[in-house]
Amino acid sequence: MLEMAARLPGVTADLDALLRRVAQRDADAFAAFYDNTRARVFGLVTRVLRDPGYSEETTQDVYLQVWHNAGNYDPAAGSPIAWLMTLAHRRAVDRVRSEQAASQRESRYGAANVDPPADRVAEAVIQLDEQRQVTECLGSLTDAQRECIQLAYYDGLTYSQVSDRLSANLATIKSRMRDALRGLRKCLGVS
Amino acid sequence: MPGGVVTEPATPDLMTLATPYALHAVSQAEHDDIERQLAGAPELVARAFADEVRAVRETMAVVSTATAVEPPDHLRDRLLAAIDAHGPVRQTPQRRDWRSIVMAAAAALVVGLVVVGIGWSIRPAPNPTTAEQVFAAPDVRTVSGDIPSGGTATVVFSRERNAGVLVMNNVAPPQPGTVYQMWLVDAKGARSAGTMDAAAVAPSTTAVLPDLGDSETLAFTVEPGGGSSQPTTPIFAQLPLS
Repeated sequence: MLEMAARLPGVTADLDALLRRVAQRDADAFAAFYDNTRARVFGLVTRVLRDPGYSEETTQDVYLQVWHNAGNYDPAAGSPIAWLMTLAHRRAVDRVRSEQAASQRESRYGAANVDPPADRVAEAVIQLDEQRQVTECLGSLTDAQRECIQLAYYDGLTYSQVSDRLSANLATIKSRMRDALRGLRKCLGVS
Repeated sequence: MPGGVVTEPATPDLMTLATPYALHAVSQAEHDDIERQLAGAPELVARAFADEVRAVRETMAVVSTATAVEPPDHLRDRLLAAIDAHGPVRQTPQRRDWRSIVMAAAAALVVGLVVVGIGWSIRPAPNPTTAEQVFAAPDVRTVSGDIPSGGTATVVFSRERNAGVLVMNNVAPPQPGTVYQMWLVDAKGARSAGTMDAAAVAPSTTAVLPDLGDSETLAFTVEPGGGSSQPTTPIFAQLPLS
């Protein structure tokens, strides 16, 4: 974690303290927490939902949950950013699945593509290096592993749906997912 | 965990589910099943599982830099308005001087007159208790949409709490002599959820929707005078409450 903290100066270092203040209903701390994390949350949610309107709504839900549940954050269970991104991913996946259940997703999302607005310069310099590293690490996975991550993490499928989709057995899919994550973790130096 | 109360021992399979579990790539039923198994699993297994979950989530948190996209600015405004509607936590009861008591009494009188006058009214400021409950609800949900004449309307609501909080941002005021009226629409029809006149449509307005019932949609119409008992003009904006 120390290594990660060193690589994410503006993010990991302060989030702990901000979350503690948010738990005390400090609106300024909440705004700062939002500003420090919004691009990651909105980006992930958008990647999963592929619809700008739904992504905004879900992002808002995520931060309302932060506002209300900041006190539940347990530093022993992981970093603040992992807590937040887990929450964001859970919300996005829930939304995808409820839309799928209503069988609206295909028609409403269709081939909708989200054009990411130009990255803000301020964060770009730090992030660029990180993004490059992440991209490289994703690139170091096998195609089959990457496909698994895409379907499970970004498309919101369960591992058994992934196995149906790829006509591979469950054990194969589970081990592909595990190997993909281990590969990424090692490559990114997450301890 | 000795004692044999566990009817279903942790299968050797459990650990292979740690990564799908951490990625939310299991169904709700499997999720519940995994948690049940974990509760009965030997501590060593439970800890190994938790470690794996943590490692996966830290890793994906780093990976999230690759998909970062700046959200639009209005999201920040909307969010902060919603938080504001939630209201600050009251620390200690404030000592009130005579002036604030008189003001409160005057305000209560005005609200009373309005309620008597039209039979229903939108609350000018949300009841913090209801808003608090909505934001705290596990099923809290946000829907928002653009108002064709400008601005946005956002409803944060909870079916469990049977209530919602409406936040209007940058909505143009209604024409003189008319109000915006909100309607909760269900299969049986529309019922009024209150009105907003020009004075109420500030740059950012919040209102509590105390009883959602079975309503599927929050609709907006322009109504003459102080409002109508049923919509008399076409709906100009609506938000699905689902």
